[in-house]
Amino acid sequence: MTVISATDAVKEYHSGDRLLRALKGVSLSIDPGEFVAIVGPSGSGKSTLLNLLGLLDDPTEGQVTVDGTAVSGLSTRERTEVRRDTVGFVFQDFYLLPTLTARENVAVPGMISDRTELLERADRLLKRVGLGDRLTHSPSELSGGQKQRVAIARSMVNEPDILLTDEPTGNLDQETGAQVLDVFREFTAEDVAVVTVTHDKQVESVADRTIELVDGKLDPDHR
Amino acid sequence: MRLDRFPVTALAWRNLSRAKSRSALATLGILIGVVAIISLGMFGTTLQAFFIQDAERFLQTAQVSPGEDSESPVLDEDDIAEIGALVDAQVYPVESSASVIKSSRETTRATVTATERPRAFVTAATGQIPKNWRSGALVGQRLASQLEVSVGDALRVGDRTVRVVAVLESTPRGGFVQADDGVFLPPSQLDARGASRVLLRTDSPEAAFRAAETIRQELNTDRQERVNVFDAEASIQRFQSQISTIQTFLLGIGAVSLLVAAVSILNVMLMSAIERREEVGVLRAVGYHRRDILQLMLSEAALLGVVGAIAGAILSVGLGAIINQLLLGDPMAFSDSVLWNIALGMGFGVAAALLSGLYPAWKAANARPVEALRD
Repeated sequence: MTVISATDAVKEYHSGDRLLRALKGVSLSIDPGEFVAIVGPSGSGKSTLLNLLGLLDDPTEGQVTVDGTAVSGLSTRERTEVRRDTVGFVFQDFYLLPTLTARENVAVPGMISDRTELLERADRLLKRVGLGDRLTHSPSELSGGQKQRVAIARSMVNEPDILLTDEPTGNLDQETGAQVLDVFREFTAEDVAVVTVTHDKQVESVADRTIELVDGKLDPDHR
Repeated sequence: MRLDRFPVTALAWRNLSRAKSRSALATLGILIGVVAIISLGMFGTTLQAFFIQDAERFLQTAQVSPGEDSESPVLDEDDIAEIGALVDAQVYPVESSASVIKSSRETTRATVTATERPRAFVTAATGQIPKNWRSGALVGQRLASQLEVSVGDALRVGDRTVRVVAVLESTPRGGFVQADDGVFLPPSQLDARGASRVLLRTDSPEAAFRAAETIRQELNTDRQERVNVFDAEASIQRFQSQISTIQTFLLGIGAVSLLVAAVSILNVMLMSAIERREEVGVLRAVGYHRRDILQLMLSEAALLGVVGAIAGAILSVGLGAIINQLLLGDPMAFSDSVLWNIALGMGFGVAAALLSGLYPAWKAANARPVEALRD
């Protein structure tokens, strides 16, 4: 069983009049509950791969499949819906809305889909990530690690099958980074897959599997 | 406002409160535009009511005098009876002539007007206009002070002596009867063979115009002008063109300020769309459709418009009440059309805000989430 897979995915960008090949045919599949780390030097195509898996971008060639459905045939609207139901995102810069409290930030993705007991759901998730006493704090009153845990709670509010995270510990010190990784581990225990792009050795050490991208291709020694 | 009940409105409201002074200034623009548009109708109507109130008696009057082809310089009793039979109006024969007036101290020349029921045209400032007026003179205010006479003094008009029974309040300029510089006597005191003119008093300006028209048609022919008829229609037209000038001016202010407000909202929304690129990218990433983003941004523009429109409407009604008090003596003297004016002004305000929010909202909604998130 596979949550998300990519088959021979190629991504090309036009940069001025030059054609950049960011991904040169990448195939991989992610199983439920797996913790996968994607590593590699900058410019190797890590973030591009993450964007393809998160349905934020389309492959130029090849195929991305979510729960057995090929994504390339879907409209923007359908793709947005698949993304909302299947994928959660956690970013290096957290991107919390500064005008909202912690619980409201967590509720944001649910506001346009399922609003039943939304704030209660948000509160439960915040308690799970250890922020039960920060429900009504605004982001400016939270530390970096707390903000990232709010962001993780937000990514979980629509009960996705997979979390995609881009350098989730990049702005955190080692101890707070470890707390964030513990939270991810808790979710993988419930069969939520976590795919993270990282430079952080600490992340690699807790991952089930590490994939290395070099110059737009998977490194065969590191699968 | 609970986010889980009215998510879009609540999010929009919080976003606006982030840049308070910017939002406030954009709202102020809408407010000024809305006030100008509402005032356009409201103050126009109030001014009209004010002028009509002031000129009511004047507008309800028509004047008939002997025409170019008349055999006599005056209208005799038969003429007056004929006129009275033609129209449904109070008929006041008036005879005016110039005469030498002497008081104990001064001598001057002034107009002497003879009419039976002067109360229809003048009011006493001091003294009283007798109910059954057989003798005694009514003196205009300016003439009285020139002659240094007051109620009870004797006055010589031509070769007869009369007693002053009242000094008159001054009359509006341009009226049919000028009180300020003249003397009024009962007709019996003036040896006249008829009236130099007849004033017709009706219930409304329209009735006065109708009466004037009837007399023109019945007594004059294309070739023969027996009587000369004058009514206030020309004055009304002049007055209405003044009102429409004022209204055009207000409309100009309204249009310009709404335009400025629209540009300012466009600016606010564009800046906000650019500043919040990443936020919008995150919203798109967590499953917001382009339509949801469009709705969110348009709600912000609409909120600016609605707040400006409501504040503008309240301010306009307040200003209107003050002007009503000053001109008409009653703060609540709004006409029925004021509701329509308010609806129109608010409608234009909200529409201007929405229209200028359209482009920034479209721009934000169509940014690709990946590009929005790329640093």
